[in-house]
Amino acid sequence: MAEVTYLEAIRTAMADAMRDDERVFLMGEDVGHFGGPFGVSKGLLDEFGAERVIDTPIAEEGFVGAAFGAAWMGERPIAELQFADFISCAFDSIVTVGAKTHWRSGIKLPVVIRSPFGGGVRGGPFHASCPEGFFIGTAGLKVVCPGSVEDAYGLLRSAIEDDDPVLYFEHKALYRRLKAEAPESTLRTPIGRACIARPGSDVTVVAYGAMVDIALRAAGALESEASVEVLDLRTVWPLDGEAILASLARTSRVCVLQEASSSIGAAGAVLSLIAREGFELLDAPPLLIAAPIAPVPFAPELEDAYIPSVERVVEELRRLGGY
Amino acid sequence: MATERAATIPCDDSSEVTREDRLALFRLVLLHRLIEERVGLLYRQGRVSGSVYTGRGQEAVGAAAGYALGPDDVCAPLNRELACHLARGVTPTEAFRNFLGKGDSPTRGRDGNMHFGAREHGVFPLVSMLGDLCPVVVGAALAFKRRREPRVALTFCGDGAMSTGDVHEGLNLAAVLKVPAVFVLQSNGWAYSTPTSRQMMNTCLADRVEGGWGIPAARVDGSDAVLTLVELRAAVERARSGAGPQAVEAVTLRLDGHAAHDDGSYMDQAERTEYAEKRDPVERLAARLRLDGLSEGELEALRTAAADEVSAGLQEAEASPAPDPATILDGVYATKLT
Repeated sequence: MAEVTYLEAIRTAMADAMRDDERVFLMGEDVGHFGGPFGVSKGLLDEFGAERVIDTPIAEEGFVGAAFGAAWMGERPIAELQFADFISCAFDSIVTVGAKTHWRSGIKLPVVIRSPFGGGVRGGPFHASCPEGFFIGTAGLKVVCPGSVEDAYGLLRSAIEDDDPVLYFEHKALYRRLKAEAPESTLRTPIGRACIARPGSDVTVVAYGAMVDIALRAAGALESEASVEVLDLRTVWPLDGEAILASLARTSRVCVLQEASSSIGAAGAVLSLIAREGFELLDAPPLLIAAPIAPVPFAPELEDAYIPSVERVVEELRRLGGY
Repeated sequence: MATERAATIPCDDSSEVTREDRLALFRLVLLHRLIEERVGLLYRQGRVSGSVYTGRGQEAVGAAAGYALGPDDVCAPLNRELACHLARGVTPTEAFRNFLGKGDSPTRGRDGNMHFGAREHGVFPLVSMLGDLCPVVVGAALAFKRRREPRVALTFCGDGAMSTGDVHEGLNLAAVLKVPAVFVLQSNGWAYSTPTSRQMMNTCLADRVEGGWGIPAARVDGSDAVLTLVELRAAVERARSGAGPQAVEAVTLRLDGHAAHDDGSYMDQAERTEYAEKRDPVERLAARLRLDGLSEGELEALRTAAADEVSAGLQEAEASPAPDPATILDGVYATKLT
């Protein structure tokens, strides 16, 4: 089997879905002949034509709203944002139209909003954010953040087939960093289910997106000292509470690791769940490793200090183990 | 009564609108007017919660727009377009159920007043963020274009919503993608308590839409149901034939305040009175039907029939069950989590 990157898995998932289902189409800024700012949609215009790979004006609220309208008529659109930061422009349509329509009227809105998020590419405060937390806790939305090549494919296929709006946050630092065997076209990652990326018995690291890779590296570095379990949330809303608590029951110690600021992201929801339902499973206070409460800085010295590193995770996990 | 009616200007005499069309429009504007009057009473009695937004003075616009559409077309009416819902097949009973927050209302009690849709009739439910539905109908129209279906998607934009970015993004997207969408621009003079002159410098919405976004736009007296229907039919058929998006600005006056709590005392009262006396959309149609040869008795019979339909609808809606709190979570997600 050939190896593919995380980016290629996303592209293949879109192409496979478009081949399987006429109702699937892609729209966004520069997604056509240019192939999107990261080249994710490169080649799709040639295969599917301009009616299924639609270049739009610079209007996130407009084309995300239009995606909902097309979905109302039974289509299954994928709306691509150039950077997840721009999801703020489409926020109103997502939370007003996307989140509440089925509950109010029974009209299904199967839209996938693909948003490249996260730092490590020197994007600065407007091209490197982790805005998933704005939507975590919002009834009617599903939020997924693949942390592996397999889930990049499997979650996107599931998201396209899901009847609800799904916000698909793809990590741009993983686009070419992660490589794995090409996923089977039948692969579907269930939405709402976390997975154990690495089993362990001493401490659980709950992570998602690019932090899964960081957690796995930290777990490897600590191999001789402790058995670290890495739980990849995959879907950050609604949370897989069962998987979090089951892991906690095995390890009794938990660290929530996220790239978003400690004040936002999935951490609040995960820690609230643990406090309410996992208190008696704990041998130590839960640990939160996250970015500081500041926008993402641009300069390499600042960004490297901002995003949780393998070294920082190793050090803090040692402290947690010694509690 | 006789002098008031004499002052009323009849609707246009366009030959392409038949007597049957005028009768259908008359029923729609009457139902709209009478349902809202009844809802206003229920509100003052404390039997309708939340608020009540009316379309008094603008009934003809929603009626003509809903009536101009073909059976497979879709629309997204706002809160002054009850007649559009009725034209698409929503019943007075369903409208009352929504106002009363009943368990079998179109929203099953999840939303009130004009905030409802009808999936089976191709009506998208209103959201309060006016302007949001402009891109949504563009997307519906895009689906029709992609599938080569001769269908049209229509929505309304008030003069207030014309100040929002969503309307700009939606109109622009519609124009660039050349989709079969129709925008009815509701120029009723007021956005809540703010006059159009405080919303924009160029207050001619048709001029803005045609000049700014390149979307052909007609301007019509929205109190004249017949003229409005003529323009809307033309716009709908142009959109259907592949000519791209179309707009019609309907000029009216909002006769009530923004909502039930607002008496509109900040409005020009002389202008309000004159509009109500001379351009009331219901009475203009009645005056036109007199020219069709309808007698006072026949007109009265139509009014009574509409009033009876409204009373029966309310009675049926009042008998509906209250929503069950155990159902709050139903439908938050369409696909259950695995």
